[in-house]
Amino acid sequence: MTESLISKSIKRNEDPRLLTGNSTFIDDIEFPGMLHVAIKRSDYAHGVIKSIDTSEAKKIPGVVAIYTAEDLGDYWKAGPLQVPPPTAIPGAIFHARPLECIAKNKIRFSGEPIAVVVAESRYIAEDALDYIYLDVEMLDYVGDLEKAVEPGSALVHEDLGSNLAADVVQEVGNYEKAAAEADVVIKKRIVTTHVAGGAIENRGFVAQWDDNMKILNCWATTQGPIPMRNSIARYLGLMENQIRMINPSIGGGFGPKIMSSQIDDVIIPWIAMKLKKPIKWFEDRRENFLGTTSERDQVHYAEIALKNDGTILGVKDVFYHNTGAYDPYGMTIPLNTQTHVISNYKVPNYYTEIKMVFTNQMVVTPVRGAGRSHGIFVMERLLDAAAKKLGMDPVELRRKNLLPPEAFPFKTGVTGQDFVENILDSGNYPMALEKTVQALEYDKFKKEIQPKLRAEGKHKGIGIIMFTEGTAVGPYEGAKVMVGVTGKVNVVCAYSNQGQGHYTTLAQICASQLGVKVTDINVVIGDTGQFQWGVGAFASRGITLVGTAVHQASLKVREKALELGSKLLNTPKEELELEDGCIRIADLPEKSISLGELAMKANPTRGTVEEGMEPGLEAAAYYGPPHGATGFGCLGMIIDVDAETCKPKIERLVLTDDCGTPINPMIVDGQLHGGLQMGIGESFYEKLVYDEYGQMVTASYMDYLFPQASDMPAKMEIKHSVTPSPLNPLGVKGIGEAGAICVPACFMQALEDALYENDLDIVESSLNPSMLFHYVQKAKSA
Amino acid sequence: MKIEGEHLFNGPRQDVWDMIQDPVVLASAVPGMDKLDKVSETEYQGKMNIRIGPVSGAFDGKLTMQNPVPPESTTLLVEGKGAPGFVKGAGNAQFIEQGPEQTVLKYDADLSIGGTLASVGQRMIDSVAKSMMRTAFETLDAALAARLAAKAAGKATEEVEYKQASESDYAKAVAKDAMGGLTSSAEGKLVIYIIPMIVVVIVLAVLLSRCSG
Repeated sequence: MTESLISKSIKRNEDPRLLTGNSTFIDDIEFPGMLHVAIKRSDYAHGVIKSIDTSEAKKIPGVVAIYTAEDLGDYWKAGPLQVPPPTAIPGAIFHARPLECIAKNKIRFSGEPIAVVVAESRYIAEDALDYIYLDVEMLDYVGDLEKAVEPGSALVHEDLGSNLAADVVQEVGNYEKAAAEADVVIKKRIVTTHVAGGAIENRGFVAQWDDNMKILNCWATTQGPIPMRNSIARYLGLMENQIRMINPSIGGGFGPKIMSSQIDDVIIPWIAMKLKKPIKWFEDRRENFLGTTSERDQVHYAEIALKNDGTILGVKDVFYHNTGAYDPYGMTIPLNTQTHVISNYKVPNYYTEIKMVFTNQMVVTPVRGAGRSHGIFVMERLLDAAAKKLGMDPVELRRKNLLPPEAFPFKTGVTGQDFVENILDSGNYPMALEKTVQALEYDKFKKEIQPKLRAEGKHKGIGIIMFTEGTAVGPYEGAKVMVGVTGKVNVVCAYSNQGQGHYTTLAQICASQLGVKVTDINVVIGDTGQFQWGVGAFASRGITLVGTAVHQASLKVREKALELGSKLLNTPKEELELEDGCIRIADLPEKSISLGELAMKANPTRGTVEEGMEPGLEAAAYYGPPHGATGFGCLGMIIDVDAETCKPKIERLVLTDDCGTPINPMIVDGQLHGGLQMGIGESFYEKLVYDEYGQMVTASYMDYLFPQASDMPAKMEIKHSVTPSPLNPLGVKGIGEAGAICVPACFMQALEDALYENDLDIVESSLNPSMLFHYVQKAKSA
Repeated sequence: MKIEGEHLFNGPRQDVWDMIQDPVVLASAVPGMDKLDKVSETEYQGKMNIRIGPVSGAFDGKLTMQNPVPPESTTLLVEGKGAPGFVKGAGNAQFIEQGPEQTVLKYDADLSIGGTLASVGQRMIDSVAKSMMRTAFETLDAALAARLAAKAAGKATEEVEYKQASESDYAKAVAKDAMGGLTSSAEGKLVIYIIPMIVVVIVLAVLLSRCSG
């Protein structure tokens, strides 16, 4: 019996090379004669380009070429959309305005590229930027989501006649009827905050054109190597296999690196072919803040209708979603918001409307969470307000309304980001709630500890919220498993790894079928020269989709190995086992053949073969689920607030999470730790701010604050439950976003509970000490 | 950025008005201003070096007086551009007589600031602007006094020499204003409490280590 390595906390294969500094990141790639690119970006948020004067910059010694949109001629074209419009939803209105890689005629956000400098060194290229003169007729800045769609607003895309990018209504039941029958209706305006992906490594691109072989070698920090390769092929008129796109080691993705059809992948390969020189571009931090994508700002007008006993009758949520200057990523984010508002509770009547708005801000595409946290925040804030209004305990109100375990699979009636009805595949929400409640000793805290603390003048509050994480959406991923002549195994896919631990988890899945050591499996991710098919790393889908493909490919290889082994050992398959890197007869372990030898035999070099034979111990498999798999959990925390300085300290944090079968529990914990740090960042530290003229004023880590180690809870207690997904053979679900999406809702609930005397009504997903202080002052003066 | 305020000049309104028409005086009043040329009755063009926190660089600027009503009021249009970004905006200045020997200047301006200046220098802009205004008025006060003294002595105002605020004076002013901003915020207060605390702890630690040694 081959030993299963699933659910084992095995040390990561990739750590030795990462920890000893022996990984190649994009900026480590050097070629003789390499030229360097710097991008001139607009200082203006909105304006008509009158002229771009590059003549002085071109005179600088070492500057090789400068290109503006005009210099690109016919090569300049917008798009295509990276995510298609939501035509599956009846009545959906969507105005496509795909990304313009470099501004032509008009500037739509500060930071939009207007010229590309190619020089002998990065220093020279950056110096030259200062000598490019942009003359612009300034237009009014569009930044307020609600005012942007009022008549008379300046227009980001004049031809549309409005800044409304999309309008999508989805309804289940009849909310208005429910509200009319309700005992209590609560209405709130809730705002979620704009935050950055903030990967430690910025984006980068290297292109090298082999003019003899007619091969374009590219290295990119992309989360989607195949779509990016295909986009480049389409732009340059090359066949896909003329482009080899490789992911070097990547220092974090968090969403924004999924984008293609941007200046880097459109222009740099073109320059490399034109100049026949290797070209490198690496983004600096300010560029990353200004010109890379980000998300999370929405304004919700939300309502909840309940009976006096706390039963939810319905929810209504009409919200404005900022898509920035273009909408290349379709409606992934706001559709996720729509599905996540109601994914924990019995909500018989639900009306939800997205008003997606163009603004003069950077393009909005997913950042770890991608709309999920916004939906969770809205629902949990509504429930907290309802609990106060009804005089009910917030946990009791949730307990009363949670979907019961027998409800699954549960059809929500709402179409999700994958354009099919959002079906919650499996879950046991009450169990997650009770685990967290017990771990935090919620009742004891509320009834015994907190009253004492309050009597002593202390401000400690508790929060408990529920969440789901829609993960593992289609369309598909694939992988190929190949046993080599050394007996070691290659697992190759064209996914992308930014630190998720795939070099280990995919190896565990494969090793569990082939009976080899995890360290004897070489996982290759994101090399289009080795595997040609795939979609990309987003929506916490890697381990489910690629993992299942690896599992299925491994099963095929196992079968192939057993067939061949059976012949060579003259023994029926059923009597054989795969273990310790060889096939042996279970009862006669000394009679065996190594996998390496088997691989040699699987590739005969003389003689004849049977008809239909496929060489090698190799197989590929592809997997696409009918719909996503939904993880879930319950987060609780106790926060101690200094009432004078409004500085909070998370004293305890308990997260119960269920992501189906964990492949490597240690890596799952790592994902949750990192996610929670990001969620804590969103709640009280991180915020992208544009001023009233469309200038981003938080474009450095001096102004864009990350939580430090000292801001994190001393201990993050993570409890697991395992509710396997019925959608795939391993029962896995994604885990990438869970930690990041649940924090703000819980944080605000705990803050309100801590500062109980002030009866706060926090309606923003991100605060800081000053803002919290203002909330308190406002409440005091009310 | 919105700027609003008033300043009391110790001099008659006409003299104040005449002074601000003089590009040499204006140039001396602005820290970092390299030169300012009067290109027409209502237009000035100049070059200045701007330094805001980590951002610095040369700026080409244009100042236009719109609808001047001597010696009562004028609207100023400002347009500056350079490697660190741009400034564009309009301001109103009103000169109000307060008795025969004093003039109140009331001003307000709405400036749009872009580029690195805004994205990286933002946290310093308010205090730098405040310091620039204060330094400018101090210089103008001195200039006005010198001009009035020259006038009283029967000399032409062209003969007066104007002293530009030194870099160190200006830097001091910026530091002071930046600290002023810090104390008004909750985080700032925290810093002000914490720094002396840390000092005390360090002193104690040193003392204790000596005792035990």
